[in-house]
Amino acid sequence: MAVIRDVMPAFELFQPATIDDALNLLDKHGSEAWVMAGGLDSFDWLKDRIKRPSVVVDLSQIKELTGVKEWNGGIEIGAMTTLTDVVRNPIVKEKFSILATGAESAASPQIRNQGTIGGNVSQDTRCWYYRSGWKCYRAGGNTCFADTPTAINREHAIMGASRCVAVNPSDSAPALIALDAKMVIRNKSGERVVDAENYFIGPALDIRRMTVLLPGDLLVAIRIPSTWAGAKFYFEKVRDRPVWDFPLVNIAAAMKVNGDNIESIRMAVNGVAAHPVRLTAVEASLVGKPRNAASADAAGQLAIQGAEPLRHNGYKVPLLRNLVKRAIRGVEEAKWA
Amino acid sequence: MPININGAAPAGLVVPKPTNPAEHKLVGKNYMTPDLMAKVQGKSKYAEDYRADGMLFVKLLLSPVPHGRVRSVDTSAALAMPGVKAIITVDDLPPPASSLTDAGVVIAANMKANRGLTNEPMYQGEPILAVCAESELIAAEAIEKIKIDIERLPFVVDPFVSLRPGGPNARVEGNCWVSPPPPAAVAGAPAGRGGRGAPPPQAEVKEIKWTDADYAEYESGKMPMGAPNTPEWKYGNLDAAFKNAALVLDETFMSPNTSHQCLETRSAMAYWQNGKVFVHTGTQSTAQTVPAIARWLGMVDEKKQPDVSKIVFISEYTGGGFGSKITGDISLIIPCILSKKLGGVPVMMRLTREEEHFMGKARPAVTGRVKVAFNKEGKILGMDMYGVCDSGCYDNQGDAQAAGRIASLLYQPEAMRLRTMTVITNTPPRVSQSAPGGMQAVAIIEPLLAKAARKLGVDPVEIHRINAPEGKAKFGPGAGPKQVRGYVTSAYLKQALDKGAEEFRWAERKAKSPQVQGNKVRGIGVSVSGYSGGSVGFDGLLLIKTDGTVCFQSGIGNLGTESMSDVHRVAAEMLGVPWDKCEICWGNTNKNLPWTCVSGGSQTTHAMTRSAYAVALDAKQKLKELAAKKFGGTPEGYDVANERVFRKGGGSGMTLAQAAQYAIEVGGVYDGHEPPADVNKMTKTSIAAMAGQGLVAAARDKAPHDGQTYSFAATFAEVEVDKETGKFHITDFLCIADVGTVIHPKALGGQVLGRSTLGIGHAIGQKWVYDQHYGLPLAKRFYNNKPPTILDVPAGSGNMNWAALDIPDPETPVGARGIGEPPVGGGCAAVLNAMSDALGDEIFRRAPLSADLILMSLETGKAAGEHLTAHV
Amino acid sequence: MGIIEFAKSPWGQDVPIHIFFYLIYVAVIAGLTFFIGHVIWLRYFAKKEEFADSTPPGEVAKLPAEIKRHSLPARLFHWVQAGAMLTLLFSAFLPKVGVRFEWLQWHWIAGVVLTVSIVFHIIHASFFMNFWSIWPDKIDIEDAGRRWKRSQGEKAPAPRRFGKYPMENKMYHLAIVLAGLSVTLTGFFMLFRIRTPLFTRNSYMFGDMTNGLMYTLHGLAGVGLIALIMIHVYFALRPEKLKISRSMVYGTIKREHYAEHHDPKRWVAEAE
Ligand SMILES: Cc1cc2nc3c(=O)[nH]c(=O)nc-3n(C[C@H](O)[C@H](O)[C@H](O)COP(=O)(O)OP(=O)(O)OC[C@H]3O[C@@H](n4cnc5c(N)ncnc54)[C@H](O)[C@@H]3O)c2cc1C
Repeated sequence: MAVIRDVMPAFELFQPATIDDALNLLDKHGSEAWVMAGGLDSFDWLKDRIKRPSVVVDLSQIKELTGVKEWNGGIEIGAMTTLTDVVRNPIVKEKFSILATGAESAASPQIRNQGTIGGNVSQDTRCWYYRSGWKCYRAGGNTCFADTPTAINREHAIMGASRCVAVNPSDSAPALIALDAKMVIRNKSGERVVDAENYFIGPALDIRRMTVLLPGDLLVAIRIPSTWAGAKFYFEKVRDRPVWDFPLVNIAAAMKVNGDNIESIRMAVNGVAAHPVRLTAVEASLVGKPRNAASADAAGQLAIQGAEPLRHNGYKVPLLRNLVKRAIRGVEEAKWA
Repeated sequence: MPININGAAPAGLVVPKPTNPAEHKLVGKNYMTPDLMAKVQGKSKYAEDYRADGMLFVKLLLSPVPHGRVRSVDTSAALAMPGVKAIITVDDLPPPASSLTDAGVVIAANMKANRGLTNEPMYQGEPILAVCAESELIAAEAIEKIKIDIERLPFVVDPFVSLRPGGPNARVEGNCWVSPPPPAAVAGAPAGRGGRGAPPPQAEVKEIKWTDADYAEYESGKMPMGAPNTPEWKYGNLDAAFKNAALVLDETFMSPNTSHQCLETRSAMAYWQNGKVFVHTGTQSTAQTVPAIARWLGMVDEKKQPDVSKIVFISEYTGGGFGSKITGDISLIIPCILSKKLGGVPVMMRLTREEEHFMGKARPAVTGRVKVAFNKEGKILGMDMYGVCDSGCYDNQGDAQAAGRIASLLYQPEAMRLRTMTVITNTPPRVSQSAPGGMQAVAIIEPLLAKAARKLGVDPVEIHRINAPEGKAKFGPGAGPKQVRGYVTSAYLKQALDKGAEEFRWAERKAKSPQVQGNKVRGIGVSVSGYSGGSVGFDGLLLIKTDGTVCFQSGIGNLGTESMSDVHRVAAEMLGVPWDKCEICWGNTNKNLPWTCVSGGSQTTHAMTRSAYAVALDAKQKLKELAAKKFGGTPEGYDVANERVFRKGGGSGMTLAQAAQYAIEVGGVYDGHEPPADVNKMTKTSIAAMAGQGLVAAARDKAPHDGQTYSFAATFAEVEVDKETGKFHITDFLCIADVGTVIHPKALGGQVLGRSTLGIGHAIGQKWVYDQHYGLPLAKRFYNNKPPTILDVPAGSGNMNWAALDIPDPETPVGARGIGEPPVGGGCAAVLNAMSDALGDEIFRRAPLSADLILMSLETGKAAGEHLTAHV
Repeated sequence: MGIIEFAKSPWGQDVPIHIFFYLIYVAVIAGLTFFIGHVIWLRYFAKKEEFADSTPPGEVAKLPAEIKRHSLPARLFHWVQAGAMLTLLFSAFLPKVGVRFEWLQWHWIAGVVLTVSIVFHIIHASFFMNFWSIWPDKIDIEDAGRRWKRSQGEKAPAPRRFGKYPMENKMYHLAIVLAGLSVTLTGFFMLFRIRTPLFTRNSYMFGDMTNGLMYTLHGLAGVGLIALIMIHVYFALRPEKLKISRSMVYGTIKREHYAEHHDPKRWVAEAE
């Protein structure tokens, strides 16, 4: 049977107006159902006819899922809030600016107007073998085509690989981990709250999924506690083009300093593994240390320990090292004559 | 009219007298083009915007393998689906047939050419069959029901893999095209692809393998140089050049394969009515697409010439071509044939972005190894160039050959040798893309020139200046028994370099460069570039209507360059008609269009301003003759201005409206009942259809012309690199164009900077990626193959600038040359040179450059990446 | 539904990728069905075991009280193999039924342990044990025929006593050999496709089709082993078999059991 791509297949579309209706639909249709938020990842899969759900549950009509509200001194962001709305939100800007910076670095203005924060953290990897419909491990097959002697894997993982070497492409994810965000997940049988860093999973745990979400689950909101409000933030994304491009590597750090010393710090990177990686060893090594070039260098070295580059992605190792350094010591802005 | 202010006209040629540009009302002025409002309001209709009752839709079954042979196809289940109307394969298409051009040249049928569909797919994504159904969804579902059995054949996607001893061949018969020697250049033949000449004879597929010895330096990044597949050419004494050199550099550089990335994919719609086929698609020439369609559909008359009488071609808007839609695309025959099969119903074939990636053509990568001898001032004494071109699976691409000619033009080596090898690979078809070969020549040689400047301690602008072509500069190999070398009409590249250096404040910046601040470093670069800038001999056609408006018949494709309108301003200016009394008739061959050049190779502005000039002279002459007939005296006693023809010095006269009415009364040559003898058949058909509607003027461009027309650009760029991330961006950019008289400044600026950006894309990221194990492409979508975005250029900061010298070309009456191709190479190489200025010579050996390569180079202290592996 | 799951290769060809994983449940159900069937058979249909000959009680008394059945290395091998096998099965199939954990490292390490232990076993059995004692011989086959006829109520001589291993034991071993070699051999090549310190990764040692068949065989043997291991455990724990099962712990069986079931000519008794 021949293959054709790039034509949207037929499916049954539901547009529930409440979370409960959505959960009932998801429960009823189980793994046959596809949750759709902004559609920017979803439509790719659907129109390429690679993922073939028979039912699509479009969340766009559920008002309860949009908007940013205050919560316990922090905020709660509805999963369907667009990236643009997250970026523009005054509280986000004031207290958690790292999230605004991270979200604003994603994709392009048009995509941010449509893409949602819930979709952004739940999106699938962009491995071009997988996205081409090759039946790799992640697609249920028996090979990782990106991890072969001849593969082109410039954009793939240097850590946490287990058969699959794809990376997580989200720009908001590391910011959320740095802010110690909590992901509120609901399904027919109730609600559970998962730390952002545990929301994302690697191939060793489940090679077919990027997050802990299972069929029937809905991410309803993301809560950001007040813990890191107004901390010193650093976010940087390195990409090929200044717009409309996924990260090669990105980094998000939240730091509290006392005088010259680092009192506490949370740091996460993405684009290096199948899930955003919280650099706990680096964090631990920095607590109580002065915030200077020497600490930054040591932290950079620590961050890349155990990194295992592939044929074309060796650059990610120095890149990660340098980004960690910069997150700690900052970047000297050039002032040209 | 502005003509021939500088430079001498060719001896014996009569060149029209110059006029004062200060008096121009239209030429050199900005204006609103007739297609603009529709475009900004979204009312412009591209091929795929048409809908009609009962329209059917096409979807294609694409080859999953890089090379194979269809053993069997079972379409029964698909055909049984409700809504599926027909399925066609290559067997339903007309076989390729030889044809005869108007000039009497036989175009032999190429049995190995791309036919639109195939039973021996040569690359993944090549269409094998087409399904026509009531909707695209049904067609797609039908394709999923088709059982197809394909025998896999050996494949290769990397030229240097194919050339190795024992390497695979992309075609069953071999891995490269070998042509019998080309016939001697025909004098006056239109310049194209960087040179002149009749179409070369049909090439054959042969196998050429290089030896292990040839590959000895492969690992170190030096390009192997085995036997070429095209006869080498040379001039001057190369040995002496290398002997006397103060510096010899031997460098390898790889340029990328880049898709044309037209925003409008090559969608096409067709229907048949009363025995005529109506075809809608994008094109780079409304006029010349018609004979191409005739040839593809096998419509030839008894003389074997394309029979265009049964074809109506509609193409009002085209979303970009860049060389990939010169005469539309052969895939347009799919809806034509399906419609015919189904009784003429409209059939729409919309191509998706992925299909466009496969079928939309691409620039062939040329890997070049160049050994250059410099004297101590930086003058190039000798250049020994070898280019290996990845020709894709169809048609021998001339890019490597063109690259040699352009190199010899732009850098004027005193002695030169060119060898080239064109390798067939199982990758999508290549075709000319903006500055085919010219772009690659510049990309290959400029980094070497910048390195030489550093080594010799010569200023980079100076090293370009000292080697730049000037006046009627010679280029390319000699031809004929006396080995006479061709030359250009004019070149003012030195002036362009000077003007650019001043505006860019080169000297001031150079004194500080490279500048370092923290992790950031800035460098500056300069590059020259150039390409063919015009052809000659096409027709102009206009109608002065009885209401006094002038209708310019434009056969030029409307692909966004605005030349389809711009060139006619020359005629309006000459006739003294205000622009609001002018109409442009374009985009539909039912509207009576004249024979026109294709908008490829930057021909149009030059060729069609000449035709506009010719037709304006004809209109003027006819007006004067009519006045003389009506009012007495000789035509010379009359003048044309201010919408009137009148007796010189005052007295009797008539308005253009009256003259048009009178032309109808007089008839004959005046209202189109008698066409001029020397215009093209197509023009004659149009004249006949317009006859009796007013004053019909038509003329073929026969203005004097000696050299070959080339345009030039001098490009300057500054980049800033972050040494900790490898990220870089362009902070300042300037391109100075040497394109003769400026016709329409805004359109020119759009071209200069637009094409510069196309070139920049080659330097900073645009590429193809292939998995060599399977021979399949991975970067099929924009976010993977990364064409540049507006944020990649310093447009927002006002630092993306252009200027034109505005020095008229002495060998064309209007003084204007073309602009499309020339800036492309400069856009690429100025950025590359700025990068090496910032970071040093050992940073890159291939384009595009990206953060990863730069960071790794900085980490390891040597150029990173696999230097000679294709498509990484 | 089917046994083998097919997918499109990157070239669009249909290639096997692995078994359908519902076969896990099929294997478990097969195992359970066997238990039930066996229990019913024993309870309602099985006849008491009779042997054609017996050792006179006097002779029995001369035998050592504990007769050596499994040497220490053999026992060690068995338990190492058992541990590896259970680890392999659980790490392979739990994730498929929805239990998430980082299974691959358990799986490949257990796989390596199993492979090494099998290699050890082959060498040990070939050179240090009575190699042929585990393979069915002519007598076994004749006796199997006799048992079958007698169970059908036909006339047939009573079967003779066993050699060292009863027929079902031998058959079971045979099945385990086939399944075990299939998984280990395919597993060995699969080690080249994952991250281990052992080999340089290379997924392209074989073509898509060979790879697919390898995964399929690995899977088939794997689910087969689910059933086989279930049956093995079931028998090991059956009360009447415990007398033999204990020998895998202590190395010996009681002489009474020996005398009743085993032919001293076919299996010469030895003391521990
Ligand atoms: C060309 C391009 C470039 C891009 N560049 C970047 C980039 O640089 N950085 C970046 O971070 N992102 C980038 N993106 C991703 C984009 O920003 C979106 O965030 C992303 O595509 C998903 O958001 P969405 O709302 O469109 O979700 P969808 O596409 O609708 O959904 C994505 C996935 O998440 C699931 N999902 C969505 N919402 C929920 C929910 N509430 N509960 C459970 N499951 C859910 C869906 O089922 C689906 O599997 C890019 C996308 C494109 C197309």
